[in-house]
Amino acid sequence: MEALVIGSGIAGMACAVRLARQGIHTTLVSPAPSEHSESVMAAGGINATLQGNDDGDSVESHVLDTLKGGCFIGGEKAVKGLCEHGEEIIRYLESIGTVFSVDSENKPVRRAFGGQSHKRTYYCGSSTGKQIVSALVMEARRFEAVGMITRRLRLNFYSALIKDGVCCGALLFNDSSSRLEAFYSDFTVIATGGQNALFGKTTGSTLCDGYAAGKLFMQGAELKNLEFIQYHPTTLETPQKKMLISEAVRGEGGRLFYLENGERVYFMEEKYGEKGNLMTRDLISREIYACGKEAFLDISFLDGKTIDERLSEVRDICMKYRGIDIKKEPIPVSPSVHFFMGGLAVHLNHETNIENLFAVGECASIYHGANRLGGNSLLSAMYSGFVAGTEIAGRTSHRKYPDLTAYMEGERKNLKKSFDSKSTFPVFYIRDMLAETMKDDLGIVRDEKSLEAGLSDIGYYLSIAEKIRYDRSVPPYFNYSLKAILTIAGATVYSARERRESRGAHYRSDHTDTKEEYAYSSIVSYGNGDYTVRLDKEQIYES
Amino acid sequence: MKVSVLRRKEPDKEPYWESFSYDGPEENTVAGLLDYINYNDDIINDKGEKTTRIGWECSCMQGMCGACAMIVNDRPVLACEAFLKDFEGQEITLKPLSRFPVIHDLIVDRSGIHESLKENNVYIGEYRPPEDKDFEQDYTSAKCLKCGLCIEVCPRYTDGRKFYGAPFANDCYLVASRNREKSGEISEAYDEHFKSECAYDLACMKICPMGIKLTASMKKLNTLKRETGENS
Repeated sequence: MEALVIGSGIAGMACAVRLARQGIHTTLVSPAPSEHSESVMAAGGINATLQGNDDGDSVESHVLDTLKGGCFIGGEKAVKGLCEHGEEIIRYLESIGTVFSVDSENKPVRRAFGGQSHKRTYYCGSSTGKQIVSALVMEARRFEAVGMITRRLRLNFYSALIKDGVCCGALLFNDSSSRLEAFYSDFTVIATGGQNALFGKTTGSTLCDGYAAGKLFMQGAELKNLEFIQYHPTTLETPQKKMLISEAVRGEGGRLFYLENGERVYFMEEKYGEKGNLMTRDLISREIYACGKEAFLDISFLDGKTIDERLSEVRDICMKYRGIDIKKEPIPVSPSVHFFMGGLAVHLNHETNIENLFAVGECASIYHGANRLGGNSLLSAMYSGFVAGTEIAGRTSHRKYPDLTAYMEGERKNLKKSFDSKSTFPVFYIRDMLAETMKDDLGIVRDEKSLEAGLSDIGYYLSIAEKIRYDRSVPPYFNYSLKAILTIAGATVYSARERRESRGAHYRSDHTDTKEEYAYSSIVSYGNGDYTVRLDKEQIYES
Repeated sequence: MKVSVLRRKEPDKEPYWESFSYDGPEENTVAGLLDYINYNDDIINDKGEKTTRIGWECSCMQGMCGACAMIVNDRPVLACEAFLKDFEGQEITLKPLSRFPVIHDLIVDRSGIHESLKENNVYIGEYRPPEDKDFEQDYTSAKCLKCGLCIEVCPRYTDGRKFYGAPFANDCYLVASRNREKSGEISEAYDEHFKSECAYDLACMKICPMGIKLTASMKKLNTLKRETGENS
């Protein structure tokens, strides 16, 4: 039996390690090493309910907070599974050498995160994601050394190999040889992260672009909850990107304010009381948007030693890129796209609607509903990888691979034809126009008019994408990925238009109420260039 | 500002210099500058000729992943942390790291770092840490980006066949500090592929963007090895 995992961040590695441990040979492919994955940027922490947490905290409480944060459209069974495995995942991470921050008795310590009733976010200084990546890289290496994991770099996803609704591998584009490679596998796992490129530069990695989900969508995979996009309320503007100011700052007591006639107005505390600064990300983003003024986050009152120990990453980013000393002055912050709750629709075992095709990590949509809680992304990355790995290892495959030679030759010819083009039409230019459209029309606040305008623009870009030839001065991946990225962008705006209510991260100024009739996940499918959205009232993905 | 780039179309093609005029924000980093030059309908060099976009790697754009390591004005840096204002004069030169095979323009193949670690079984196995764990040292060491800057400045590194440089020693330390029973075995690989050749120049420590204190790791490795030897 052979498994193929595409993407080598935390979710991809967790899945590969789980598969290898259970005796399944796994090929782990990615364009770049795990050290370059977006996972290394997850700073804040990982949620779990362990013995020794605060009195009154429990798995049930974690489940409720997660469902509540997700406005009750995250699947209850899925969320229960996620939260029940928090302790197991922390113990596992410890056992592979993850360096958690600990107290004087060597017990991992916790911090408070937004939207949670109890303090349950375990962390590794200010680089939790990086510490987990380093530990998983080492653990994956253990299986690489004995031949159970084969890592291949400089490989990009091109398309899935699908016959009669069953996935049997993938076509991969090899950057080194500039050729397509067919890779047959019994089970294929997509772990390619969120749809960042739809919005140009986000707080995350430039490598995550949504292409794989978009292409699979065009090949028949269903997508879910695309309209829910998390704007992180506190990011710092720099010339090269908006940089995340971790929620840990608010967790450590950071206070949000704006200035009015020279006086500080602590708007979150005034409106929501003592815990105002720890409200969910969507709410704070909307409050900052609504105040119409530059917002600031102040942590300067905390003692310098605590800042050095717990917030060193934030301290360094502010000083390095803006010359701001957070021990002395507040941080100017504004909301920016940070996380995609939507993605490939998966069942509880993380299989998509295409047999033998799985999705894990941020590219899969299952736990976070209409809004994700801080600290739940690392937990779900680990958990989803484990769930898919365990599921696959429990299956058997006696199937012979179908003959897909004609499909593969067709795709090779299509790609070669595009390489031979002499046109230099700039693909980046269209991607940048798309980003402007998405930021303008699918912002923190949307309405029918803006969404219609967005759909019209994306329709136009798609019509250009159909006609233009390729830009030879960028890597082939950037060229062939364009149409699927535009297609998932279109599906996202379409899904947002169809949800005529406000819920979680999706806020409509023309439908400000949360409506019972929409209390379900949205599922979007694709056919002949058209999108079809339905609400998952039967909860078919909760099975 | 004049920007000269040592370019190469493909691995087996000859390198060549090409220059560009940069009129973007002065507060930019080199990564921001490369983005600025590349984001145009047509890419024009300083002779007014149409040319191709400059190839370079990036991911996080904020010093957390190490993808954009390159040489700016003969100084190995992470491009996303190298501010234009910190370079004197009105010209900067960009070159790929020299100790790794060039793939395209400023993109190099650093997979050798990972291969050497895999071939020498530098992994923890079972988690059996020593009783006196040094969390600060473990935490900092686990932040290694495998960016290759330390290898670039190492006076002893040649072709990476025998002496593997600081990233290898760093991961050897991480293994020994997490599995005391593997200290002996890992020390042998460390001795052969690092310690026996290291000139203790410490340039690797000075350049490390994560501030990893390699000498502290080396000291601890020696202690762990001695203790393992005494107990065996």
